[in-house]
This record gives sequence, C-alpha cells and structure tokens, in this order.
Amino acid sequence: MAKALGLDKLVNFFRSIKHNGGILGSLRTLYRVDELKFGDLIGEDKYGNKYYENNMYFYGRNRWVIYSPRVHMNYDASQVPAEWYGWLHYKTDLPPFKDPSRPKYKWMVDHTPNLSGTNKAYMPYSTVKTKIQAWQPKD
Amino acid sequence: MSNPARIVTRQVKPLLSLNENEARRRVFGLYKAWIRQVPFILQDYDIPKNAKDLKMKIREEFNKHRTVKDIRVIDMLVIKGQMELKETVEKWKNKGALMFYFKDTVEPKPTDFMSKFMNGTD
Amino acid sequence: MLRLPLFRAISRSNGRLTSAVCFHNSAANQQQPQQQPELIELFIDDKPVQVPPGTTVLKAAAMVGVEIPRFCYHERLAIAGNCRMCLVEIEKQVKPVAACAMPVMKGWRVKTNSALTRKAREGVMEFLLVNHPLDCPICDQGGECDLQDQSMAFGNDRSRFTDINFSGKRAVEDKDLGPLIKTVMTRCIHCTRCIRFASEVAGVDDLGTTGRGNEMQVGTYVEKLFMSEVSGNIIDLCPVGALTSKPYAFVARPWENHRTDSIDVHDAVGSNIVVSHRTGEVLRILPRVNEDVNEEWLADKARFSYDGLKRQRLITPMLKIDGKLQNVEWEDALVAAARALQDLPPNKCAAIAGCMADAEVLVAVKDLVNTLDSELLTTEQEFPKSGAGVDLRSNYLLNNKIANVEHADVILLIGTNPRFEAPLVNTRIRKGYLHREQNVAVIGPKLDLTYDHENLGQSPDIISQIKSGSHPFCEVLKNAKKPMIILGADVLTRKDGDKILAETQSLCKNIEKTVKTDADWKVFNILHTNASQVTALDVGYAASLEEVKKAKPSVLFLLGADENIKKEDFGESCIIYVGSHGDNGAQIADIVLPGAAYTEKTATYVNMEGRAQLTNAAITPPGMARPDWKIIRALSEIAGHRLPYDDLHELRDRIAEIAPHLVNYGEVEPSNFLKQVYELAKTTQGSFLPDPIDIKQKSLDQFFMTNAISRASPTMAKCVQAVQKQKQV
Repeated sequence: MAKALGLDKLVNFFRSIKHNGGILGSLRTLYRVDELKFGDLIGEDKYGNKYYENNMYFYGRNRWVIYSPRVHMNYDASQVPAEWYGWLHYKTDLPPFKDPSRPKYKWMVDHTPNLSGTNKAYMPYSTVKTKIQAWQPKD
Repeated sequence: MSNPARIVTRQVKPLLSLNENEARRRVFGLYKAWIRQVPFILQDYDIPKNAKDLKMKIREEFNKHRTVKDIRVIDMLVIKGQMELKETVEKWKNKGALMFYFKDTVEPKPTDFMSKFMNGTD
Repeated sequence: MLRLPLFRAISRSNGRLTSAVCFHNSAANQQQPQQQPELIELFIDDKPVQVPPGTTVLKAAAMVGVEIPRFCYHERLAIAGNCRMCLVEIEKQVKPVAACAMPVMKGWRVKTNSALTRKAREGVMEFLLVNHPLDCPICDQGGECDLQDQSMAFGNDRSRFTDINFSGKRAVEDKDLGPLIKTVMTRCIHCTRCIRFASEVAGVDDLGTTGRGNEMQVGTYVEKLFMSEVSGNIIDLCPVGALTSKPYAFVARPWENHRTDSIDVHDAVGSNIVVSHRTGEVLRILPRVNEDVNEEWLADKARFSYDGLKRQRLITPMLKIDGKLQNVEWEDALVAAARALQDLPPNKCAAIAGCMADAEVLVAVKDLVNTLDSELLTTEQEFPKSGAGVDLRSNYLLNNKIANVEHADVILLIGTNPRFEAPLVNTRIRKGYLHREQNVAVIGPKLDLTYDHENLGQSPDIISQIKSGSHPFCEVLKNAKKPMIILGADVLTRKDGDKILAETQSLCKNIEKTVKTDADWKVFNILHTNASQVTALDVGYAASLEEVKKAKPSVLFLLGADENIKKEDFGESCIIYVGSHGDNGAQIADIVLPGAAYTEKTATYVNMEGRAQLTNAAITPPGMARPDWKIIRALSEIAGHRLPYDDLHELRDRIAEIAPHLVNYGEVEPSNFLKQVYELAKTTQGSFLPDPIDIKQKSLDQFFMTNAISRASPTMAKCVQAVQKQKQV
C-alpha cells in the first residue's frame, strides 16, 4: 500500500538521512560521494574504509565502500585492500573476517594504494650506459 | 604591375568571380559570415577568448592577404576560408585547432647569434 | 662496392688516363706522355674501343661501360687471376678467358653476356657458394657484400645444393688478427686480395695461404697480430665477410646508416673519409677515394679511433671554483672568461692551437686576440721563425704534393718516420720503391719503414756533409732526376730547429742546382704531423712557445692544445680551454668551454701539402658543446669586442680575406716562392746541437695514441696492448 503511494521512497529517504548522520552528515556525504544510501555496515578494514551492503539496491549497487574520512576527497579505488576487494566485487559473499579459508602469513605485505600522482610514484629510469661519457677532472 | 595581371586574369578561366568587384563581394560576404559566427563560436568552444579577441583575429587573418590582387587567388582563399568556417561551425575543429590561430604558446625562434648560441640552435 | 671501380675507370678514361691504371702501366704513361703507343681496337659486346697495348680485357670493357664481375681483381693490387669470376668469351677462342689478366689483342670480339660467358660465371659462382656459409643475415658484410651482389646479378637462380645433412660445408678455423680485424674464415673465397695488400701496400708479409684446393686457407702462418698501421684496409678489400671490422661487429647494417663525407684530422695527410652514423652516434669511418691524397686507403688511427669521440668528452662548460673544475651554465662560463679579458694591457692575451684546431676557430681566435692588442699566437708544435718563417708558404709545406711522392727517384727523410707520422705518404713511398726503384735514405734513428732504406746516421751534421758533398750519399743524389728531401716537422721543434731547416733548405738549393729537375718539381718538403699546423701557419700563428711563456699572458687560450703545455709555465695566467676532449689541456684550465670534435662541425682543414678540405658535421656536438668558432664569437660579444661574423658564410668571407686559398676547397695553391725561401734561409745563424736527431713515433705501439681523441679511444688502447704483447713474443 505504502509502495503504491510511493511512500516507501520517502521512508528510504529519511532512512538514508538517518544512516548518514542527520542533515549535516548527509550533506557532507553528498558532497563527498554524490550519493545518499543506507545499508548494513558489514565491516571496516584497518585503513578506516567502511563496507556496506543493502540488497534493496539492485545487484552491482548493493555493496559499496565509504572511504576513510582521513583521505577526504582523495579517495581512489586502489585504496580498497585485497581482502575486501573480493567481497566488493562479488568474487565471494563472505567478508574477510568470516572466511575461514583465507591464509594469513607473516610475510604478506601491507596493502599499498596506487601512488601515481604523489611524490612516491614510481619513476622509471634508464640503466643503459650513456652514449657519451663525460670527462671528469682529476684532482 | 596591375595591368599585366589583369591581362592574364582576363585570359585564364575564372574560378568563381568574373571581375574584381565580384571577388570583393565574396570576400566581404565571408568576412561578415565569420563575424556573425563569433557569438556562436564562443558558445560552442571553451576557449579563453572574448568576442573582441576573435573579431580582431578574424580581421588579422583577412588582412594577411590584403595585398593579393589576382582574382583567382582571392577566390581560392575565399574557398579555403569558407571551408575553415564550415569546420568551425560544425564543430569539426577542436579547441586546440581554434587556439592555434592565436599561437599563444609558440615561442618565437631566436634570430640573433647570442640567443641561438645559448639555445644551441642553428 | 661493385659499381665504384667502373665509375673510376670511366672518369679516368676521359683525359686522365695517366694515374695508376695499374702500377706498371701508369709508370710508363706518366714518364713519357709524348710517346703514346699505337692504340689497339677491339670490340666489347660489339662496341668498338681503342686501348693502349697491354691493357687487360676487363679494363677495356670498363672504358665502354661494361662491367665484368670480379672478386680477386683490384686495380690497386697486382693481378692474381684466381677467382675466375671474370671469365668472358672471346670469339674464335675455344675456352673462356679471365678478363682481368688477359691483355687485349687487335680485333678481338669480346662477349661479356653470351651464353658461354654466363654459363662460366654461373659455374664459378656455384663453386664459390658450395662452400660459402648461408649466414648473410648475421654477417657484417651483408648489404655491402660483393658475393651477395654478384650472386644476385650473375649467379644461377636455383640451387643444386642438397648436401646439407650429409657432409656439410667446408669449415675453417677463425684466425686472430688482432683487436681491429674480425675473421670468419669459413666465408673466405680465397681471392687473396688481403694477402696482396699486405705484401704490396702495407709491406707486412704476414698473410699468406696454406694448403691447396679444398684445404686452402688464408691466414698468418703462425698465430700473430697483423702488425700494420694500415691494416683496416683489408676489411674494405675483402669482397665477402671473411674480414670485417671488430669494433663495428654486429653494430649496424650499411643501408640504415647515414653517410657524411668528411676529412680525417688524426694526421696531416687530410685523408678523405666517410663518416657512417646513425642515431647521433658515429658507427664507423671509411675511406673515400681521392687520388691526390689517400687513394682509397686509410690509416688505422683514422679508421678506428672513432670510439674516442664518445669518451672523455667535454659536454658542459666548466669553471674552476674553489680550486676545482665544476659544471656551470654557458652564461657563467662566458661571463667569467669575458671578465678575465677586461682591461688587458697589450700582449697579455695569448693562444696556443692544438693539433686538431680548424681554420674557423683559428681565425676567430686570431681576430679576438688581435683586437686585444696581442700577437701571441702559436701552435703547440713550434715552427722556426728565422728565415722565411711563416711568411712564405713554401717554407712549411710538402711542396711537391703527396701524389708526387711516388714519382721521386731519391728520397731523403730527415727526422721523420712517415710510416707512423703519415702512413699514407709512406704507402706512396713504398709504391715508388716497389715500382720505380726509389732510393730512400733516412737521417734519424733506425726505423722499420716497410721498404729498404739506407740509414745515414743520427747526427744533424750529416745534412751539412751532404750539402758540402763530402758524404757518400751525394753520389746517389747527383744521379737523381727527381729527388725529394722530406723534413719532419717534429725535428724542427728542437732548439736548433731553425738551423736544421736552413741547412736543409740550402742543401735543397744545391741539389736543385746540380740536378736538372722539372720546373714544378720541388725538392724541399716538410712532413707535418698535426692536422692544424699548416692552417695555423697560413693564418699567422707566428709566435713561438718560448715567447708566449716569456710574455706571461694574463689570459691563455688553448684550442685543444694538450701537448707541451705545463701549468708551471703559465702560473698567473687564466687558462681558457676550448676543445672537445678532456685531456692534459683541460686539466690545467681555469675555464673549460666544450667544443665540437671533427665529426660534429663543418670546418676547414689544410693538409700538409696545402690542400684545404672541408669536414661536414655528421652529428651534433654532445650536451652543451658548441662548434668552436661560435664559442669564441659568443665570448667576444660578451667581452665587448664583437667579432663581425654571425654565421659560417660570413666567417668564410673573413677567412678568404686573410687567406683566399683556405676556402678554395679541394685545390692546392702551387707554392712558387722556394727561391726566396732559400735566399732567406741564408740569414739564419746558429749551429747544430750535438744531440742526435730523434723521432717520437718509432714503433707501431707509439702510433696509435697521439692525440686527445685517440687517447680516449678504447680500441686504440687495445691496439697498443696487442702490439706490446706481440713484441714480447
């Protein structure tokens, strides 16, 4: 009945606002990710990214990530670590902390996001000997 | 100087115009068409120029050929100008192609010995 | 490769038949051009041609533009006739004959394209290819290989070779000929060109054949270095890829190289070269034909020292800051140099030209130094000032021209070793020795000159003895028709150099009196070792090193000058080094301005006979280096004495004002003032020093590294090592 009147839209709207922490919070989220959604918090990784799920949205939009507030607007898909990547991309339905078969070794390195555009970006350099060898004065 | 040219033009097959007046009319027609297009160019292209700049540039481009007397050459230039206009109107050109008229970023090549020496260009 | 000899033969046929059709013929022709023997008429492919008797069929064919394929025949070497590729049919003769060795007979009708000829050629080609490896794709000769070209042009178009799995092709062990020549002896087709070159031109009888038939091998009989200063030429001579250049191995393909005509500056011969380059690198240097200078040979230093162009280069201006040379921008270096040039009293600015300075920079520096009221211009190799000095060109040129060296009948070498100071003059002398029974005598240390010669001793007094007629060698000189005295430039740097020069000149005067020579035959000749020397003397670098040292200049320009210059002599001078390589000169400099090497600038060089020739810029100067004269021009503007030329043309106009012959490229201005030179020589006073005449380059290992480029070259270093190792054996 409510659906027929379109009232559920209104309900969802208010839920989203509530989910995002009131009007101010919603405005902040809108500014940051251009979208208001609500859903269950599935988990949070060690970098502060939060992962949500709401199967009310259709497949492909029902799992999402809200990046850590620490990165502000500088978020980027490569900040999702490998263990959450699979869940976020529907490779698995088990979030990492529920999956018993995930190996954890000491030697596994920490996740690094793509550093392009930062001063830590990889710069290729030539290891070929120069064509002309300059003279160095002897002292 | 103009006399022999006129004799020659009389003998050869005309391109479009039969006499100077007609050629002149075509040039002005093209010029007006360009000037009328200016507000639309500004609308269509995101370029850091205003109407005055564009009009000055159009004037400059026309003035480049003001010494041309041969009717057939004038006609050819008019045809080329029309082609340019068409490309601009239809947005076949991109922003860079339009900005190329202004050559803002082109550094003039050095001509005196010292700057050539410092630049390492010959 | 294939087309070149034909072109040469054609160009010779119109009027210049004289020069070396073959050694033996040319001798006869040049001596008695008036007794032209009757010509023989014959027909090559039905084209009539008239040739002097003794001409071979191959040469007669070349005259009418018919190219006969050949491998073993080379016009500067003796005829061997062993490759059989030049077989042609002659009408009414049963068998095809080898065109390269067969003298023509009257009325012969030669068919160079008949069925019989073609069959013979295809047969020969098939035999050659039976044992030639199919490794063209990895062969360095690929693309410039006579065998490739001729098998395409004259070979059969299908193969009968089915033996691949059975016995395989003939395989020959590779020889080690030293660090310059790579051998792949399996590819050898036994043309013996290298053997003939070694024994005839190089005068080193190291190469030969062993075995017969299928077992025949070319090589040094025992494993040894090919000890010659012109060894690189056997690479050019080899029609296949058996002998290739070791430094150039697997570097590039000939068709992808750019070629720039240039001039060699490692000695004063001025050999014409082609610089092969690609992607801004010089890949190899080949000789270019110039009958008057280098024929088609090239000395090893000129050919292989190009890797020195990539090492020890000056690529940024440098300034001595806190006692250390540091890289700076052009502005800083030029301003520092200009500051040193400010408010100089007269004669406080000096310049010393190095061995590879070009005419352009020499003129620019002279103009700059002269505007600063100074005349202190000299070269690192001094030339005596007394007598005619630098006022008359005849005083310091090889007056008789290089090409005439082979026509002399008596040659007296004083204090020079042409074998290493000018290898291509030495090949001329050897040619004269072999084909004209030249008598050669040397005043100087014991030398190996590749030909028999008489050593008269080391004392400079011998010159006076010969002059006065008390020396036994006078008898030889008296009977000579075309004597030549060749005086080394290096011996003139001795303290008694002016005396040696004057005494030699008066000896030459005496000889000219007693011996009736042609009017244009010059007895007095000087053999220079530095490519820049004649230019510098022409332009007027007349001061001596002593004068420059005594003047204590505030500013001293070194134009690539690395020899004979010590920091102690110029304690308070600001030394400005303009040059391409970091060597002794740059080490003592206060300001280093990086210049261009000879492959990187269009520049004028004058060789020892006074022939102005032009190098062309093959590549751009590395880094921030600039053509030398432009540096001087830029410096002059900043120093406030702007030189009035902005480009090469204007500079050349200025050079033409000073010395018109310097821009008359390719020509030798005849030297006409020998008489006056002899007169002026009488004014020279002094006496000989007791020390014996010595020569710097006495053995092959001293030949390879003589200037900044060759000293920077790893290949040359390897050569020196190899020679020293060979000597110990």
